[in-house]
Order: sequence, then C-alpha cells, then structure tokens
Amino acid sequence: MQSSFQLAFLIPLLPLIGFLINGLGRNWLSKQWSGLIGAGTILGSFLISLFIFQAVKAGQGEVISYFDFIRMEGLRIPFAFQIDALSSLFLLIITGIGFLIHVYSISYMHEESSTSFARYFSYLNLFVFSMLLLVLGSNYVVLFIGWEGVGLCSYLLIGFWIKNQQYTKAANKAFIMNRIGDLAFLLAIFWLIIKTGSASFQEVFDFIQANQGTSKFSVTDITIVTLLLFIGATGKSAQLPLYTWLPDAMAGPTPVSALIHAATMVTAGIYMIARSNIIYSLAPLTLSIISWIGLATAFLAATIALRQYDIKKVLAYSTVSQLGFMFLALGSGAYIAAVFHVLTHAFFKALLFLGSGSVIHAMGGEQDIRKMGGLSGKLKITYATFLIGCLAIAGLPPLSGFFSKDAILLSAFLHQPLQYGIALFTAFLTAFYMFRLLFLTFHGSFRGTPEQQAHLHESPALMTIPLVILAILSVAGGWIGIPAVLLQDADWLGNFLAPVLGSTTHEVSHATEWLLMSLSVGGVLLTIGFAWFLFRHYRATESRGILRFFENKWYVDQLYDRVIVQPIFYLGRILKEWVEPRIIDALVNGVGKTVQLAGRQIRFLQSGQIGSYVLLMVMAMVVVLLVQFFIRK
Amino acid sequence: MNALLVSAILGVLLMLSSVFIKNRSYIHALALAGLATLFALNLAELNGWLLFEIDVKGMLRFDRYALVMNAIMLASLFFYLLLSGNAMEKVGPHYADYLALLFFICAGLFMVTGYASLLILFLGIEVISIPLYILTGSDKRNLKSNEAALKYFLLGSFSTGLLLLGIAFFYGARGNFTATVSVDPTVVGSSLQLAGLLLLLFAMSFKVSVAPFHFWTPDVYDGAPTVFTSFMATIVKVALFAAFVRLFEDTFSLQFSIWQPWVAGFVVITLLIGNLTAVFQQSVKRMLAYSSIAQAGFMLLAVYAINGDSKEGLLLYAASYSLATIGIFAVLTYMQDYAFEGFNGLAKKQPLVAASLAIFFLSLAGIPLTGGFLAKLFMIKAALAYQLWLAIVAVIMAVISVFYYFRVIQAMYFRDNTQSISPEFPKAFSILLLITALIVVLLGILPEAILGLLYF
Repeated sequence: MQSSFQLAFLIPLLPLIGFLINGLGRNWLSKQWSGLIGAGTILGSFLISLFIFQAVKAGQGEVISYFDFIRMEGLRIPFAFQIDALSSLFLLIITGIGFLIHVYSISYMHEESSTSFARYFSYLNLFVFSMLLLVLGSNYVVLFIGWEGVGLCSYLLIGFWIKNQQYTKAANKAFIMNRIGDLAFLLAIFWLIIKTGSASFQEVFDFIQANQGTSKFSVTDITIVTLLLFIGATGKSAQLPLYTWLPDAMAGPTPVSALIHAATMVTAGIYMIARSNIIYSLAPLTLSIISWIGLATAFLAATIALRQYDIKKVLAYSTVSQLGFMFLALGSGAYIAAVFHVLTHAFFKALLFLGSGSVIHAMGGEQDIRKMGGLSGKLKITYATFLIGCLAIAGLPPLSGFFSKDAILLSAFLHQPLQYGIALFTAFLTAFYMFRLLFLTFHGSFRGTPEQQAHLHESPALMTIPLVILAILSVAGGWIGIPAVLLQDADWLGNFLAPVLGSTTHEVSHATEWLLMSLSVGGVLLTIGFAWFLFRHYRATESRGILRFFENKWYVDQLYDRVIVQPIFYLGRILKEWVEPRIIDALVNGVGKTVQLAGRQIRFLQSGQIGSYVLLMVMAMVVVLLVQFFIRK
Repeated sequence: MNALLVSAILGVLLMLSSVFIKNRSYIHALALAGLATLFALNLAELNGWLLFEIDVKGMLRFDRYALVMNAIMLASLFFYLLLSGNAMEKVGPHYADYLALLFFICAGLFMVTGYASLLILFLGIEVISIPLYILTGSDKRNLKSNEAALKYFLLGSFSTGLLLLGIAFFYGARGNFTATVSVDPTVVGSSLQLAGLLLLLFAMSFKVSVAPFHFWTPDVYDGAPTVFTSFMATIVKVALFAAFVRLFEDTFSLQFSIWQPWVAGFVVITLLIGNLTAVFQQSVKRMLAYSSIAQAGFMLLAVYAINGDSKEGLLLYAASYSLATIGIFAVLTYMQDYAFEGFNGLAKKQPLVAASLAIFFLSLAGIPLTGGFLAKLFMIKAALAYQLWLAIVAVIMAVISVFYYFRVIQAMYFRDNTQSISPEFPKAFSILLLITALIVVLLGILPEAILGLLYF
C-alpha cells in the first residue's frame, strides 16, 4: 500500500466522528463548537483527500481492504475502499464544496437554537460521511451503504424544520421516491452476486468481461443489470420518472439544497454509472435508453424552470435539467464528459444555491422572485458571484460550464444528431431561465414590502467568502478539460480519468467542432439578450397556453397522484376496512380462541391428585409399551 | 472429576460452617468462594489439569462436552447465588444447610453429566433428588410447600422405581452397567434391552418434566419456595438433559429408529401442553412452571436429533435458558404475590429491572439478538435434519409462547400501576440483574464464547 493511502480511512471517519460528537452532545455544545466541529472535520477530510489526490495523480490507485463485512460460504464482501482517479476526484468535490457549505451554514443557521444547530451540523456531517462511503467503497455493497445513508440524511435535512407539515411531506416524498430506485439497485446487486459470486467492482467487471454473452452472463443479464442500476440512479439523481422529489426538497435549509444539488446525493447516480462503465459499454440498448431519458429530463425540467417564481425552485429544476445533460453524456458513452459536468456543475450550482441563500437571507426569508428586483445595488458581492454562476451554467466561454457542456453536446452530436438538436435547444432554454431569474431578482425596481427594503443587506463574510471562492472555481474550474481544438494537450482531466473511464477519441474535424461551439455560444448570447429584453422590467403576466402547462410542471405531480397514489390509497382502504377485520382478524382471533379452548381442556388434567397423575403416566407407558411390542414390532 | 469431589467436600464444610459462623453474609461469601473454586477446577480440568488421580474403573468419563456443560451450570449457579442469596435467607433459619444441600446436589449434577455406567447415573439422580425433596419442603410452616415436597417425593420415588427397573432390564440384557453401545447381535435385538430402553426413556422424561410425565412439575414448582424452584427449573434440568442426551447417544444409538419416533411424540405433546396451559395461568410463577415444561420440549429436540447442531444447541440452551429463568425468578422473589398485575408499571419505577426482565422474556420467547433465539435456532435446525413437520410444530409453539411471555413485558411497559405498593430492589441487585441480561444478549451475538470451549 502506498503510505499516503494509509490515511484514507480517516476521510469518512472524521465526519462520522463529527456526527457523533454533534449528535450526542447537542444539548451541551455551544454553537461555536458545533460549527467548528462540523466544518473542521470536513476540512480535515478535505486535506487528506488532497493528499490522496496528489498520490493518485502520481501513480495508480489501489484497493484497501479493512475487514470482511460479510463472509459466508461462496461469498465474501470485504469492507474495502477503492482509491483511484474517479473516487479521488469525487472526494475532492464532496469534501471541498462540502466544507464551503459547512462554513456558510455557520452563519446562515445562526438563528437556530444551539440544540437544533448541533443537530443540523450532525446531519450535515453524516450526509458527507455517507457520500464519502459511497464514493470510496470498492464494491456495490459498501456503495449501497453510503447510498442508503445519503437517502436517510436527505430525509432528515429536507424535513429539518420538523414542525412544518409541508416540509415533512417533502422529506417523505424524497425518501419514498428514493426507495423506489433503491429497490431496483438492490435487485441489481443481488443479481450480480448470484451471477458473478462477488460484489467487488474489479471482480464483477472482470467476470462480466470474461463471460459476456455466454450462459454465465448473457446479454439479457447485462441489459437487466444495467437497467436496474440505472433505475436506482434515476431515483437518487432525480431523472424521469422519479425526479419529482428534488424540486420539493427545497423545503430544507438552503445550504442543504446546495449540498444535495452540488456536492452530494444527486451526483451519486452519475458516479455509480460511471463507476460501472465497463458493464454499460457492453449494453448499447441501456445506453440508448439512458441518453433518451436524460435528454427528456433535461428538456422537461428546463421548460418547467421557465415559469417558476420561487428562486430555489428555478434552481432545483435547473439541477434536474443539468443532471439530464449528464445522463445524456453517459448514454452517449462519454463518461468523462459526464464526470466533467458533475465537477463544473458542483461549482456553479453550489454557488447559485448559496447565492440564493444570501438573497433569501437578505429578504428575510422571502423566496418569491416576483417580490424581489433591483437587489444588485445592495447585495454587490452576491450579485457579482450570482452573475458568474449564471454565465457559467449558460455555458459562455471561458467559464467552466462552457467546457463541460460543450463536451456533452459534442458527444451527443457524434452519437445521434437529433439528440444534439434537442440538447442544444435545451441549453438555450437554460440560459433563458437562468437570466430570467437573474434579471428578475437583481435588476429592475424593488417589488417587496418597505420593511424588507429596509432590511436588505449584504450577508456576513462567512457567507460571502464561500461565494467568492466558488465563483473563482466556476470561472476557472473548466480549464482542466480544454478540448484539443482550442488548446493542444490541455485535456488534463481526460488523461487523468482515462485509466478508469477509458479515453475518448473523437473522429471529428476541427472545423465541425468550431462550428458546434460557435452555434452554442451564439445561441446562448442571443437568448440572454432576449431574456434581457423581456425581464429587465418585470411585468406581472398571466400564463397562458403552453406556459401555463409549464408553470404547473406538466401536471406530473397530479398525474402520479391519480395513477399511483390514489389507487394505492384505495387499495389500502379496502385492506383496512374489509380484508383486515374480516379475514386477518378473524383468522388471528380464531387461532387464539382455539388455543384458549384447547388450553382449558388440558388444564383439567392437572387435578392436583397424585393418584390421577400416576394413573395418567401408567396409561401413557402402557400405550407406548403395547404399541412398541405388539404393533411396531 | 476435580469439581465432583470438591463440591462434596464443600457441602460438608458448609454444613459445619453454621456451627462456627453466625454471620450469614460470611456464609454466603464462603459459598461464592467455593463456587469460584469449583469453576476454576472445572476449567483446569478442561485444560487437562487434574487435582486427583483416581481409578474409577471406567464408571465416570468427563469429556469436553460434560466439562463445558459443568462450566455453564457452575456459572449459572454463581449468578443464582448472587441474585438469590437474599431470598434464601427468607425461606427459613437454616441458611447454611440450604447452601450445603446445593453443593451436594452439585456433586450429583457432575455425576449425571459425567457418568459412564448406569449405576452412576442412578446414584447421581438420587443424589440430586433427595436434597431437592428437602429443599421443596424447606418452607416448613407453609402448607403448600409441604404438600409439594410430599408430592414430589411420592412421584419421584415412582420414577426412581422405573429407572431402577429399566437399569435391571438393561443388566439382564447385557450383563453389565456400562453405558456404551453394544454391537452384540443377541443384545441389539433383545426384548429385554428394548424394555429397559423404554423404561429409562420414561424415567428420564419424568426427571426433565417431559409430557406425559410432567404432572408433578407445575404443582412442585408452584409449591416450592420460589428461590428453589428457580434452581430446580434451570440448573438441575439442564444437567439432566445432558445425561439424557448422553444416555441415548452413547448407549442406545443403535436403537435410534425405535426410540426416535417416541421422542418426537413426546416433544409434540410437551410443547402443546406446556405452551397451551401456560397461556391460561394467572400467576407468573405457575406460568413459568408451564413455560419450563414448554422449554423442556425444545430441549428434548436435542435428544431427538442427536447431532452436532443439537448438542451445541443444548449448551446454548442451557446457558441462555438458565440465566434468563434465574433472573426472572430472582425478581419474582421480591414480589408481593405472583400475579401478572404485580408487574404493572414496573418500567417507570424500576427501569433497570424492567429492562433486564424484558430481555429475559425476549430470550425465553426466542427473539433474535438474545441467546434464546440462537438456542431455538440450533434446535430447530437439528430437527430439520429429520422431520420438517416437527420443526414447524416447534416454531408454531414458539409463537404461542410469545403470548404469555409478552404479557409480562406488556404489563411492565404499557400498564399503569394501580396498587400503591411496588417492590423495592437493592441497587446492587438491579445492576447484577442487568449484567445477567447483558450476558444473555451476548450469548445471542457471540455464541462462539461458549461453543468455542468445545473445540479448543
């Protein structure tokens, strides 16, 4: 083992310790200490991650086995960590952005009581712990532990303000939607274990590569496993049809949204599929399904985002849409582009969410952009950083979003031109709704109450410093993956990830690439101009036609309610009012009555008379002896 | 061998001690020290270290299984003395004598776990039984105690007669008392041996309270002073089961197909009677008497199956069942009466005691994470090697047992105390009880702690 890897176990352990201290000591710890422990443990993990990242950059990764988690006949599942390019990159994203969010939270949550403050940080730490476990696991089972932990923590944090019924419902929704995906994931794990006899990535991949197409692992097996894993990913990464929880997950405190949308949770599905790229590359059908679902999600969410008025809702749908882009990349076989977009998206989406938190903070809890406007004057840092975030997500060079989105669009173009067309249009939509948000929030005149206007102020340094750092990253974060057409040998990320994800070589002329790039940049610029023209001054308009359809989110929630929720309630009513009292209860009570009756009869044997006891015993003996000697003989 | 002789000596010593030592806590300490010595000697023998070199002419044989069983019994007895010392004082003035009798019984217990000749088996059973008759009647001014002792004595003598007659038939068939397999063709099929086998089966069934020879159990257990019921129902019973298993494994294994169906029948009747009758009891003490019959039905599966699983299972059963039952009876000795209502609201007043009791009952019911669960699991697994239906019956009966065990838990946690009097427990007692409960849980998590002793 490389000596630097010996510290790897500390990366998840530190947040776990933080969770335990904050969780158990929540009644005694002061806010300073809770915040310090919460953020400090993540900082520690981040430093070790940096250290390990350096080591991975220098050499190859490896698997570190700690102990046997499950050991039985024919199956051994070690508790082991896999450290390689992919996981070390994710470690940096999770701990780095996680740390900034922790720091930001210290200020954002300062109004909470010290008990719930500590509770908040303990959940946050547990969240990061689970995500780190997910990324570090060297087999599907450890990954699944982290996977479930992330689901649990999202539930705890979305419903953090437990007194609000609406928030609790949102938490339930997130949890249940995730569970649906988890079930598929679990089935995939079982399928793999049954077929390959292992859950470790390396062994599973080797087995499948060696036996693909044979009876040991047929093409059907590959398709089923990849599809099940993908269904798992649609739950966690909010894709059609399981995406509806993510917009509702806004109920949690804003930094939590940033954590869920940027550093943890929703990237888990992308990570899992990228990790399993060897299997996916053998399943063209699944890849095609993934690309279409990703694209459909991207488009649908983008249209919904066009007509939302809650600042966080717009960002939430934008996340769903961007995740769709990532899945489009995965489906096109461009795993590196997907991971690249995870990285840049983490920067600018964390920035945008924390920026929106700063806005909400300044507005005293107001989230409706119709009541904002003209904030750029008062919130200078927030405005500047938010603008950078918008430019980055819109994909203007040389900001980070440009490079990753360009990589995805290119892969889509090569894969399937029709998909490219839709994706490009969706990219324009992205620019449109983001700048609509920006203009409505920061430009024009203030539309809130006079009290709110008097309250407006820039957030404290603990909140703005993370914004500035994230803004810098949003600008420069893309420069690690500059395509060859712009700069020779600058695709550092591609080379770094190639051992795990395979290298991608494009058979495309530079002229085409230039054309595609100018098309997207030109379109985005035009769209921004259009948005400026429309939303510079806010005018309340009633949505009509298709826009109304978008505003109501395609009525998907209503559809699910009708098609799934109501029938289940109906079935539940039948079970409760008819099946349970008439069948189950009758059965149970019947058994109970029989037992009572039998017991009452038997009790008479216990008369207390020695004579009758002896008589009964002798009778029993006589029967046994007679049967043995004369019948069984 | 070590422990057998020393425990007899300790019995004499304790009997004399009442003359010299007036302070009861010293006597109690002496008994505990004696037990610790026995335990250490037994462990020493497990590691091959013998205190005495005596030629027993092959009449005793202490193998690992017997020694591990002895260790379990001694450990249980240690907890029993710690938890019940106080209650024993209340029975009557002859504190040292009770303890002396316990040590004599101990000698008998070691004889029945380590016998290699049927004579020793007989001797051991009598050495156990006679002091037990006395202990049952030790509450001399209590009519119920007297009645129980008399009943126990009369029915016990009856079964002793059966035992002797069985041994006589056995001798008639084989010409010796050696408890080994005889391959002599004239012996294997002989009717004399068959009759001896069946009579021994009846007699042993009586001693371990297996139906239909269980009738004495509820009356005696109910009438005897609670503290001695606890001893009879646990340590004595598991020792006799070890003897039972040894008898049919070592001596009658060739007649397996003859006796196995009968044992299966006894298992079913015992489980049915024990569980169904326990459902009805209004007194916790009597309920425990029936539950001990039901548990005997489970332990009888060890005789039924006679394989590796069942023998390991019996060890686990011995440990978890003894500790849990001892703990429950120890609490019972502090109760005003033995009605279920007495436990109402105990969880609020005595959270430690209630939690420990809950663990004991969960273990008896066989709920996972407790020793009782694994014990039942082993037994059912052993039975599965032969008959599926028997395992199904056993599981159903375990489910029924949940009903009456959980009644106590329900009373403790979900009912309010309507009576103003509630039992008081000394702090040390509560903590000891909790430790006992933790051991029961530990058995369910790390069964290797005991089973490992068998192999290393």
